[in-house]
Amino acid sequence: MNLSRLFRHLCAARHALLTGGGALALALITGSAQAQAPDVTEIVERANQASFYAGNDGRSEARMRIIDGSGREQVRQFTLLRRNGEAGRQRYLVAFSRPTDVRGTVFLVYKNPGADDDRWLYLPGLDLVRRIAPGDKRTSFVGSHVFYEDVSGRHLEDDTHELIETTAEHYVVKSTPKNPGSVEFAEFTTWIDRDTWLPMRSEYARDRRVYRRMTIQEVQQIDGYPTGTRMLMEDLDSGGHTLVEFRFSAYDLGIPESVFTERSLRNPPRQWLER
Amino acid sequence: MGETIARFSIRRHRWVFGSVLALVVALGAWIPHIAIDTDPENMLAAEQADRVFDASIDERFDLYDTIVVGLVSERADVGIYHPESLAGLHALTRRIQAMEGVVANEVMSLATVDNVEQVVPGIISFDWLMDSPPETPEAAAELRAAVERLPMFLGSLVSEDGRAAGIFVPIEDKNDSHRIATRIATAAAELGLAEAVHITGQPVAQDTFGVQMFEQMAISAPLAGLLIFAIMVYFFRSVPLVMAPMLLAMATVIATMGLLIGLGYTVHIMSSMIPIFLMPIAVVDSVHVMSNFSDRYRQGRDPRQVMAEVIQELYKPIVFTSLTTSVGFASLILSPIPPVQVFGAFVAFGVLLAMVLSLTFLPAYVAVLPARTIDRMVARVHRHEREGSGGDCRLCRFVAAVGRLAARHGRALLVLFLLLLGVAVYGITQIQINDNPTRWFKASHDIRIADRVLNAHFAGTYEAYLVLEDRAGGDLASQLAAQAEPVLVEAREAGVDLQDDWRRLLAESRGDNARATLDNLMFAIDDRLFEVDADEARQWERLLAVAETLSSEALTFQNPEILRYLADLQAHLEMGGYVGKANSLADLVRTVNRELVSGEAADFRIPDSAAGVAQAILSYQSSHRPGDLWHFVADDYRSANVWLQLPSGDNQDMQRVLDAVDAHVAANPLPEGLALEWAGSTYINLVWQGEMVEGMLLALLSAFAVVFLMMIGLFRSFWYGLLAMLPLTFTVSFIYGVMGLFGKDYDMPVAVLSALSLGLSVDFAIHFIQRLREAVTEAGGDWREGLSRVFEEPARAITRNAIVIALGFTPLLVAPLVPYVTVGIFLAGIMAVSAVVTLLMLPAVVATWPRRFFGKTAAVAPDAGSAIDKEA
Repeated sequence: MNLSRLFRHLCAARHALLTGGGALALALITGSAQAQAPDVTEIVERANQASFYAGNDGRSEARMRIIDGSGREQVRQFTLLRRNGEAGRQRYLVAFSRPTDVRGTVFLVYKNPGADDDRWLYLPGLDLVRRIAPGDKRTSFVGSHVFYEDVSGRHLEDDTHELIETTAEHYVVKSTPKNPGSVEFAEFTTWIDRDTWLPMRSEYARDRRVYRRMTIQEVQQIDGYPTGTRMLMEDLDSGGHTLVEFRFSAYDLGIPESVFTERSLRNPPRQWLER
Repeated sequence: MGETIARFSIRRHRWVFGSVLALVVALGAWIPHIAIDTDPENMLAAEQADRVFDASIDERFDLYDTIVVGLVSERADVGIYHPESLAGLHALTRRIQAMEGVVANEVMSLATVDNVEQVVPGIISFDWLMDSPPETPEAAAELRAAVERLPMFLGSLVSEDGRAAGIFVPIEDKNDSHRIATRIATAAAELGLAEAVHITGQPVAQDTFGVQMFEQMAISAPLAGLLIFAIMVYFFRSVPLVMAPMLLAMATVIATMGLLIGLGYTVHIMSSMIPIFLMPIAVVDSVHVMSNFSDRYRQGRDPRQVMAEVIQELYKPIVFTSLTTSVGFASLILSPIPPVQVFGAFVAFGVLLAMVLSLTFLPAYVAVLPARTIDRMVARVHRHEREGSGGDCRLCRFVAAVGRLAARHGRALLVLFLLLLGVAVYGITQIQINDNPTRWFKASHDIRIADRVLNAHFAGTYEAYLVLEDRAGGDLASQLAAQAEPVLVEAREAGVDLQDDWRRLLAESRGDNARATLDNLMFAIDDRLFEVDADEARQWERLLAVAETLSSEALTFQNPEILRYLADLQAHLEMGGYVGKANSLADLVRTVNRELVSGEAADFRIPDSAAGVAQAILSYQSSHRPGDLWHFVADDYRSANVWLQLPSGDNQDMQRVLDAVDAHVAANPLPEGLALEWAGSTYINLVWQGEMVEGMLLALLSAFAVVFLMMIGLFRSFWYGLLAMLPLTFTVSFIYGVMGLFGKDYDMPVAVLSALSLGLSVDFAIHFIQRLREAVTEAGGDWREGLSRVFEEPARAITRNAIVIALGFTPLLVAPLVPYVTVGIFLAGIMAVSAVVTLLMLPAVVATWPRRFFGKTAAVAPDAGSAIDKEA
């Protein structure tokens, strides 16, 4: 399971348990889960599926409010398209509509498990495509407290995972980077919901101190997939935070692969971006 | 009157002692509550416009007070770009970031900033410039190549010659900077860096000044007291007797400082000098009293009776000299500088308190001394005078000779004085008005050394901010209302009434600033579009277009034209050598643009469209330090900050920058609607210096006028009043003339001294003239005889006093803080010069025009005696 996933609009329906199932059902589940405590590989795999791979494809509209430590506010509005491929491969397309001066800016990700992801940013005002260097994956995504890597998810194989606690509601997993020099954190801890498999909270620590925290504040059932619709990313050092709200989420729309090509950077696929 | 006071104090000496003790204990009890304030910013009142603006700029652009740490390498070839040096820089940076009170994520050094570079065409990378220190010389050389491509850092984080690297350490509270600077020095020592480590920056200078000021208060004032005590013991040959003025001075200092602290005033650079001022001034009156007493007293006489006579003779000059001194200090209240006002008011109070104590405590003290002690004292003094071996008698011979010289060669002396005055006036015209709080330390002080070294290597450790603000077009809210109105009208005509909805959305969208409001409004309209029918949606879209246009137009500092103007202005300042370096949004955008487009120097330019600028900024925000953007532009993009690094904190240099900007703006008018303002501590120092110069001139002139009127009142004569003003006029002119000739800058301490020197230097003239008139009357109107009598005891008292005070200030000369040294030299100079001038110029003037002063004939009628005599 991976850190903070920005866009957890999807989720594995078969693991999802509708809330309100009753105390008995809950007790049964809890009991059985504890009895056959799944191993940590399965937990992180399911959580990864729940937050990044729900359905075959998906679409969502996001609004981002970026508040810095001094209370300055910036906003971003964008539409996000996603399509799953073979062997965990994925493609993401993020098209900005607001503020006006960044309208037409498009962000494209090819997620390549086992290798570096490819990321492009098209800037219409300069008419140029900027490739994001792999080393920059943990830098700010368009000025927010969310990192590029959070958009499409951190690779599971980049960390070693350890189940440190199982509570009534969560699996608590500690992840330690295999290559500590490539990231700014020493470790991160994730609280994975035992019903939905959504990672509800991730805390990043260095020098034994938590400095960054992702929290899912709202989960909705959409097309049968529990979907995080409100996510908060906090920078505890600066006191700033970014709040992302996802709306109009939908799954299994049949978005074609051709939407996710470099051609779409200059010619955004209007058909899929507009509601 | 004087006699009444003296006799009362002698009779009720227990009551006098009790009152003094009660006063000292009651006020002294406040002293432990002392609060130190070393912030030069407080030279301006809290509500002063420039200061208020400066504070708002700090908030708007997230600007912190900054400590500057510099590592200077001895390696001539690679300089700081050596794996060991960079490892040291890296380690020290991390240590500093972990320190309490440091704004860790704003620390700037090679180890905390991003490199922006084109890795291969099409890929630009924001990667830590030095996340871990390079391990090989080759890697270090690569780092050098990277840094030299980054205009934002070259000259700031590394010197252009590569010899020095800097760490800029923003701190939360500038009053913490001495502590943090000390910890940085310790950390550097622990790391065993091969490089020389220098620490400077205005907050360090200020805070360190505060710490050392405290030490000076604890050293200089007692040392001055000790020295004054020793000199008085030498003159008066009696420890018990001399204890009286010492106790008096201590009581004055403790009561005054206690009152100041008790009334809730902070002890600023100025008020820390109050003890040092009061100590010598408080004993002046006592020296006159004791001098007169020892001259009058003969064995067998009742000391109480003698003391009553002494006070009777001296109370008028004591009251008047104290009043004039007090007026000199009180005139500082007219200056617009709060710490100077406080200083003036409380020294004025202290002087008056010392006067009261001289007239009451001194007689009471003498009254309880055993007669034997007094006999012994007087016997010793007189024996020395008779034997002619004591210094005192050399003094009396010398003084008498001065008197003869003055009377005989009056005209020659006056011509000499006139010539000297001419030279002094020339000197005054040469005075340079300049100040720099860093120069308040001696040249050998660590802070001064760091200042010199770092400013030689870097673009500058002094900062000023040039802020451009768009004030055109009124506020966004009213522009929005005006532009939305026609759309709403047309919509109503088309049968869609959106008026109420629009108002409601507007009200709900109210944000922190106009930009946030517009953003919220656009979101709200966007949402609304999906809830309404097609007709209504069309109207809403028109309203959305209005809001969007307005929102883009409002982003002044995304306009390429305006950014180019900024770039040109910066180039003008840098080329002209007025500033070490200028950084602004224009540099940030140009650097990002270059790396986005080609990486070539030709693309170091502002993009052609506002959207291009916005997207370059958006790219920059993907770096590890997106917040750095807000140091250069406000979040509504309506104001921008050009950060100027100056290699000198001198006010004159700051003024040159201001003039250069004015000249540029005159030749290249600001884009329409933009206004230009200044902020930053170097600028603030210039502002208060300006107010100081003006304020001090007013204080000086008004003190002069008041003292002149007091002199005319005291002597009931215009001519004697004028005569009394001569020595001080000459003294003040002479001192400032010398200062101008020697090239000493007219700075804060000097400015303050101007007004108060007036009040001090008139003292001797008052004593001299008063005693001269009495002596002439006693001599039956023979002014020559009267003059020679004045050159006995009275002239000796004046000389003794001048020596006591002049020497009393000398401990200040060894202080490590320049303002203290300045005050020491100045006051010693004033005392010495005004004593000499009084003893030479006054006799020369009266001997040249005796009729003007002693009537039509040389022998004066009895009724021409001084008004004071008649009153007595």
